Amino acid sequence: MVVSESPSITASESNGADGTAKRRAVNITGRGSDISFIIDEDAPIDEAAWELAKQLSERRGALFSEGGVSVNTGRRSLTEGEKAVIRRVFEENSGLTISRFVSTIGDYVIESEEYPEGASPRYPWRYAIRRSSARAGDLDRLLTRLAGGSQRNRAQALLIRSTFRSGESIHHYGDVVVLGDVNPGSEIKADGDIVVMGALKGLPHAGASGDNKAAIVALEITSPRIRIGDCEAAIGTTGKKQRVRKRGRDAETRQPSIAYIRRGAVYISPFAGRFARYTKGVLYDG
Amino acid sequence: MTGKTIVITSGKGGVGKTTTTANIGVGLAMRGHRVVVIDTDIGLRNLDVIMGLENRIVYDLVNVIEGKCRIRQAMIQDKQGLELYLIPAAQTRDKDSIEPAQLRELCAGLEQEYDYILIDCPAGIERGFKNATAAAQEAIIVTTPEVASVRDADRVVGLLEASDLHRPRLIINRISADMVRRGDMMSQRDVESLLAIEVLGLVPADERTISAANRGVPVVHDTRSTAGAAFLRIAARIDGEEVPIQEISPRPGVFNKLRDMMGMKGRAYSHA
Repeated sequence: MVVSESPSITASESNGADGTAKRRAVNITGRGSDISFIIDEDAPIDEAAWELAKQLSERRGALFSEGGVSVNTGRRSLTEGEKAVIRRVFEENSGLTISRFVSTIGDYVIESEEYPEGASPRYPWRYAIRRSSARAGDLDRLLTRLAGGSQRNRAQALLIRSTFRSGESIHHYGDVVVLGDVNPGSEIKADGDIVVMGALKGLPHAGASGDNKAAIVALEITSPRIRIGDCEAAIGTTGKKQRVRKRGRDAETRQPSIAYIRRGAVYISPFAGRFARYTKGVLYDG
Repeated sequence: MTGKTIVITSGKGGVGKTTTTANIGVGLAMRGHRVVVIDTDIGLRNLDVIMGLENRIVYDLVNVIEGKCRIRQAMIQDKQGLELYLIPAAQTRDKDSIEPAQLRELCAGLEQEYDYILIDCPAGIERGFKNATAAAQEAIIVTTPEVASVRDADRVVGLLEASDLHRPRLIINRISADMVRRGDMMSQRDVESLLAIEVLGLVPADERTISAANRGVPVVHDTRSTAGAAFLRIAARIDGEEVPIQEISPRPGVFNKLRDMMGMKGRAYSHA
């Protein structure tokens, strides 16, 4: 994951048969063995996939890349479904593998690494979402981790300075912090933890590289589905009748909360703790 | 003179984009501005029907862009004689007949002569949406207080912010105060807090809007309509006037008061 000032991505123009300048849906650029496929951000995904398949099969055997190629989608960030389409096109039409998807949000370049084959999490367990207060030991562990006390992956955090809206999706290999709400219909995948300074209503996936100890903190968590590590939990899978008093329910969900895995369930616990006491000594640590 | 091009969009269909475009257009023209409204819903044109100009169409947007006629020939003046002109969409073509850059060029030309160019965007986020938004400097998002419509509006806000249309403004249409009071409809606050963008206006559900549309006379002409008054206020706000947002309140009734006293208030939706 690299966050840097975004160079604007311009697709090269070529003259169509009718004489009008028509943008190609897919352009290939290469430097040495680094090949990247630029998919026009305005082109419909099926059109882009078709164009991609055409270009790949035309150059079958002519393109080589050891570490895999990157797919650049400009200001459009592909959904997991769209990525699956692109992956399949590569599988069927070439011997190339995708190493990462690159897109931009505002001024940031988002690079999401692809998992090596077979390492992709499959969510083997369908967990339930339970709401209860956290045990002191759990909270200690989580907050220590969030405060950076544990020697874990210290990848640079991605800061999203706006509301994350329906249809937007990112995958970042470190922690993700959102200054705003995460709305329904959006997906945030982070190999580290997710912190939302707002209401979390979309689909979060913390510890996406398989870290079941990852946590999600938000000022309010109402996501109907939560993923942590290789586990997925959904509201209403307890079998218990989910009839909650309306007033109580609002009070229960509309408060700062932390979500984590404990003993076969994803727990959402009220979180009024302060990081300060857990950051002791850490401030001076590199 | 340099005018302003504003796109009216929503994502979801049937929330009142076309009605809003027509009414804001008339409202701005009533305030003495020169206004052009462009229907970009090629293949499913409606704006002409709502403005009552259907039988005057000779040339359309695609004809202009293809150079088959001059732009003035495709502009149909409003029935009441306001400085309001409609460029209708072609009914027998599709969204691919025009390119975003072509519409941008057309609007840039119109901005030299007119104060406001309003673009009625088709539903969806595909080609038609891209055509319509490419030409605009500002965007207005119309939504109804329904979960599905708000979800689509959220998606559209994201798309607009990713392109160059920052700070779109919101119109919440068809608010039924009685339903909000009963807790069967999202309130304007629920919608605002989810979308987190500036509210341009609130329009109450009003049967007169429908009958006005059927007669081909936009509801702003109806002085007894609450929706018409709301559209006039919106036009004033677009014009830069400071008009406070009026909350949509239900008719007070004995039963409502009683219910308030008893504190009965449900929630028909779980979370938006």
